[in-house]
Amino acid sequence: MKFSTMLARSARTLAVAALAVPVFAQDPAGGEAQPGAAGADAAKKDEGEWFAVVNGDVYSGTGAVLRGATVLARGGVIRKIGHDLEIPADAKVLDAQGLRIYPGLVALNARGIASRFGGGEFADTFDPYSQNLVLALAAGITTVSDSGVAVKLKRREVKGVVVRERYQSTLSYSSAAPRGKSELDAKFEAAARYLRDYRDWEEQKKTNKDLKEPAARGVDPTIRSILENRTMARFNAANRSDLLGIARLAQKYKFRPIIEGAVEAWTVADELGRAGAYAVVVPRTRRDKSEELLRDGGSSIENAAILHRSGVQVAIQATSTFIDLGGIAGRDVLHLPIEAGFAVRGGLPEQAAIEGITIVPARILGVEHRIGSIEVGKDCDLILLDGDLLHYQALVQYTVVDGKIVYEKDKELYYAHIRPRPAAQPTDAPDARRDKGEEKPADDDKPTESGDEKPEDKPAETPEDKPKDGAADEG
Amino acid sequence: MRLNPLLLSLVPAALASSAFAFDLQAIRVGRAETVSHGVIEHAVVLVEDGRIVAVGPDLPIERGIPVVDRPEWTVMPGLVLPYSRLGLDGRAGADFTPEVSPSPEILPRAEEYAEVLTYGITTIGIYPPGNGVPGQAVAIRPKGETLEEMRIKEGAYLKVYFRADARSKKTVKDAWAKVDEHDEKVAKAKEKWTKDQKGKGAKSEEKKDEAKPEEKKDEKAADAKAKEFVPPAADPKVKPFLRVRDGKMLPLVSISAAADWAHWLDAIGERKFDFALRVVMQRELDLYEVHDEIVKRKCMLVMEPELSYTTSTMRQRNLPAEFANAGNKVVLIPRGEDLASHETWRADVGEMVKNGMKREDALKSMTVYGAALMGLDKDYGTLEKGKVANLLFLNGDPLEPGTKVVAVMLDGAFVHGEVRQ
Repeated sequence: MKFSTMLARSARTLAVAALAVPVFAQDPAGGEAQPGAAGADAAKKDEGEWFAVVNGDVYSGTGAVLRGATVLARGGVIRKIGHDLEIPADAKVLDAQGLRIYPGLVALNARGIASRFGGGEFADTFDPYSQNLVLALAAGITTVSDSGVAVKLKRREVKGVVVRERYQSTLSYSSAAPRGKSELDAKFEAAARYLRDYRDWEEQKKTNKDLKEPAARGVDPTIRSILENRTMARFNAANRSDLLGIARLAQKYKFRPIIEGAVEAWTVADELGRAGAYAVVVPRTRRDKSEELLRDGGSSIENAAILHRSGVQVAIQATSTFIDLGGIAGRDVLHLPIEAGFAVRGGLPEQAAIEGITIVPARILGVEHRIGSIEVGKDCDLILLDGDLLHYQALVQYTVVDGKIVYEKDKELYYAHIRPRPAAQPTDAPDARRDKGEEKPADDDKPTESGDEKPEDKPAETPEDKPKDGAADEG
Repeated sequence: MRLNPLLLSLVPAALASSAFAFDLQAIRVGRAETVSHGVIEHAVVLVEDGRIVAVGPDLPIERGIPVVDRPEWTVMPGLVLPYSRLGLDGRAGADFTPEVSPSPEILPRAEEYAEVLTYGITTIGIYPPGNGVPGQAVAIRPKGETLEEMRIKEGAYLKVYFRADARSKKTVKDAWAKVDEHDEKVAKAKEKWTKDQKGKGAKSEEKKDEAKPEEKKDEKAADAKAKEFVPPAADPKVKPFLRVRDGKMLPLVSISAAADWAHWLDAIGERKFDFALRVVMQRELDLYEVHDEIVKRKCMLVMEPELSYTTSTMRQRNLPAEFANAGNKVVLIPRGEDLASHETWRADVGEMVKNGMKREDALKSMTVYGAALMGLDKDYGTLEKGKVANLLFLNGDPLEPGTKVVAVMLDGAFVHGEVRQ
């Protein structure tokens, strides 16, 4: 009897597992292109145009690197990644010979890119032709958040640009405003108590049907949704004491805070790590230590590195939140990888730095299921660079959003004259395959279908320094 | 000799000639820019009852017919300026008032009208000011003691101001939603009516089928046949959009950038109706980004005769010419609301020809296309038999800056210039 119960239970477990599999496997199933296998949803996904990037080194953003691999997408969604993939005859193919492929960058708090006039309602105001948009795509940015809304930088189309509406609620919890602080404490306490009572009620209801549902009156809906993981709590805090307070609050009520600024976060990194915090840092920020403080304080170039070591998810933001074409270059939103490079200088592993401008901000925006890494089932948002993303010399050659080429360096106004592609120089260690790209004729930058050659098979050639005539006219 | 313009506009020439004894007159000039049929050298234009009855080279002129013989003159159709606030205040809010006409604002005998008439502008479309959907334009002739004498046509086009913002999109979507609501109401009423008819004995079944959507809107016809289905009256704010949907009036959609176009398309969705675009020319205008789409939709464009630059560059381009050469009807209007801009209008358009616009398109841009925007191209805008005799006489090429207006004829009567017969 006992045995049979166990059997029944395990059978039920199996059944549950069997049910669960299609749910988890839906995207990959779509990726395998098996029509009819995964229901109407997958069938819908089996529409759209095929797009393939071949011969590139795929830096997936998850840590994996596939050299000379193919990324195959349909309808803007990545279906397969790997070698020797069969590419449908009608696919648009982009030859990434000698290029590195990264996930598109995610720029947090970037203003003036998603809309002509700024401020909200991006589905109605998004300018798919703006120069700022092209500049952002040229900088490798494929998603921005403006006013807390995640906006996909589509070009020449306005449909589906808003990926997710506001997913965050901004809270203030600072010792500079003690009353607000204690009020927030009270709100959290009330919301937590309510949720506890509600769970108790749900449990006891099974035996006692007459039991009254606990009243939600007086419970702050924002705080409640934070505790129920429907909203993320976002704080702006730089001081050690404020950061510590937020860390403790988050630990107590078990939510994962997003902390922007976080200048002195390195001094309380372990507490923030324990709170599962996300930190949005500007690695180049400088701030003096408060003279009154005996402990460590002020800014540190190691901030991001220390936070990362302590388990804090670090997102990197540029010094300036908009595109700035005046003054000294290199500090605005177009220089995210440069900013990330400063975190690397402070000890942050390169992989973490890349994650800090891709998947971590995607998580902060609640769009990591679609954006932030090159994985089957995710949006085909790719950037193709002629070198290491974090190298100051690397330039974005192509930007792909939703499986469409939306930026091609040699055909756009801004950087076409800088190292036109056939003469592209390796920007990191000498690499035979990169040199190979240079022996191609100048006008052969169109996507081709010859994708099967293994780049390693070809002999290395010395790079030519000659810039192509005519390409510099754009300047 | 002086004609009653009101009568002329209302009564077709053929009918009028039998009722009134109007003079036939002939004008012989060195050259006629017909706009519709190219250039005619040594042309004769015969005018009767305010209409052109013949245009041709060296037409025989019967004895007794008064002749204006000016071989040094060039004649072309009077200029049609369909988009103007001449003599009026331009300030207004952003309301949804599609039913409004600017007619009450118009002050007959205003100096501006008399002045532009001497420049050869014989038809003007006055639009209501404001953002949102401020109302419908009225076509007038710039001469007359009263509004009635001036007025040619109400509801010439529907002015729509559209920008890539939530408000504009909502306005457009709401307006069309109201049209759908009205259609539903009509359909329901029809259903009810059909049932009632069947109950009565189903005598009028044949007629029911005749009541096609277009006829349904025609309330007068419906009244005439009392037994026929009478659709519920449309809200005055819905009516203009019904006319737009049925192709009876063009909406003139004001946009200022490619993004506006993208969001306009997004706002109208799958709806099929013709519309014209008013594009405010600026130094940098990225409309070339959506050139192909605008060409594909064959939109008429209303623009100033100005050159612009490719964004972020000093690369000059002639957007009006780009669209005209691609086959779109381009209406060019004076560069400003001031009188000087009206005076140099022809010369400014001439500049566009020097920068790649076809001469033929340039002439049409000031005449027949503007008339077409207002649904008046059957009567105005070319030198053709049957058209209203609005004629502009010049001492040379209309597109050359030095060319002067020597005479202007409005509705068959000379209203400007020294004319000896």
